[in-house]
Amino acid sequence: MVGREDFLNTPVVHMKLNSNMTVDQLIQQFKKSGSFGAGRLASACDVYEGMVRDKDCTIFLALAGAMVPAGLRTTIADLIRKRLIDALVSTGANMVHDLIEALGGHHYQGSWFVDDYLLYKYHIYRIYDVFVPEEDFVKADETLIKMFEEIATKTGRKPLSTNELMSEVGKRLKDPNSIVRSAYESKVPIFLPAMRDSEFAYIHRVHQKRSPKEKGLLVDAFKEVPELLDITSRSERLGMIVLGGGVPRNSVQHAALMTGKGLDYAVIFTTDRPEPGGLSGSTIEETISWGKVKQKANKVMVIGDALISFPLMTASVLERLGPGFHRKGNP
Amino acid sequence: MPKKAGEKVCGNCRYHNTYEYPDRVFCFAKFSNRENPVISIFNSCDEWESKLQECYCLEEALAKRGKKPK
Repeated sequence: MVGREDFLNTPVVHMKLNSNMTVDQLIQQFKKSGSFGAGRLASACDVYEGMVRDKDCTIFLALAGAMVPAGLRTTIADLIRKRLIDALVSTGANMVHDLIEALGGHHYQGSWFVDDYLLYKYHIYRIYDVFVPEEDFVKADETLIKMFEEIATKTGRKPLSTNELMSEVGKRLKDPNSIVRSAYESKVPIFLPAMRDSEFAYIHRVHQKRSPKEKGLLVDAFKEVPELLDITSRSERLGMIVLGGGVPRNSVQHAALMTGKGLDYAVIFTTDRPEPGGLSGSTIEETISWGKVKQKANKVMVIGDALISFPLMTASVLERLGPGFHRKGNP
Repeated sequence: MPKKAGEKVCGNCRYHNTYEYPDRVFCFAKFSNRENPVISIFNSCDEWESKLQECYCLEEALAKRGKKPK
C-alpha cells in the first residue's frame, strides 16, 4: 500500500537563475522545480537524450503544424545531418514550405493583427503571424512541376512511394539547409502520409495536365506502409518525437503497433486537449491502451507551443552530448 | 502594345497569380498547354472578366506605368 510519506518524497527546489546560464543549466533548474510545463520539458530532455544515447533505438520525428514556415527548417535539417533523428514523418505542407525556401522563396515575420482582406488583395498568404508572398509559392510550383516531369521520365510508370518521391526531389536540390536535401544526403527517409492534403496534390494535377497520357508521375499512397513497417520491424527499440500530432503522429504509432513492438520512448509537444477525442490531444496513457506505446516506455507530453519547447529541448540535449558526439543512425 | 485598364488584361482574370508583383503574372492555363506562362499583367486574356478582381496588382501596375517616363 502506498503510504502518506510516499507522496512527500521530493520537495520543489526553487529555480535559481543567473546571467550566464546555458540552455541546459536552465533546464536543470526546471528539473529541480519538477512542476507544470517546466517539469515536463525537463523530462522531455531526459527522454530525448535517452533515445539518442540508446544505440539500438530508431528515432522518428512526426511533424505537423507550420513548423517550417515559422523557423524550424534549419534545426530539423541539422538533426537529420547529425542523425539525431532516423526518419521523418511529416505533413506535405511542411515539406512544400521547405522547398519554397530551397527554390529561392522566403517566409516573412508578420502579425496576427492584420487586415486579412488587405493581404488577399496584395496576394500574400498568412500563417498566424508569418506571411508568404504568392509568387514564392508559384515559383516553387513551377520548378516542382518541371521536376515531376523529369522524375516521371526517369521512373517510367513505376509508382513511387512518398519517400521515394522525396528522395528524387532531394537529389535535385542544392540548398544544404533544406530538410529534403539533407535527408537525401543522409539517407534519412521522409514519409508524407497525408501528401495529398498539400500543394503537392495541385502540383501533381498541373503536371498531369501538361503531360501526355500514360506519361504522368505515379505516386502510390500505400507504398510507404511496408517501408515504414520494414523500419519498425528491423529496429530493436523505437522512439518518437511529435510536434503537433495529427496524421504524422498516428502513422508512427500505428507502425509501432503493427509490428507488435510499441514505442519505447515518446516525447509529444502539443497544445491540444484529450476531451474532444482527437488524436493530437490524446494522452500517451490512452496510446498505451492500443499497444502503440509500451507501458514502461520513457514518455512525456509537453503541453505548450512546440516552437518554444522543441528548440529548448534540442539545444539542451545537444549541449549534453557535446560537439564530439557521433551517432551512426538506425536501423 | 500595353493594354489600357478595362481591356482584356491578365490582371483582370480570376486565374492570375503573381510572379513579379505587380507587373508579371503566372498563367497556369498557359503553363498546362506548354506555352510561356510568365506574361505581362497587361497581356490580352481569354479569361478576362468585366469586373475588376479584388486585388491590387493591376491597379498598382497601372500606377507604376503611369509614373514611368515615356
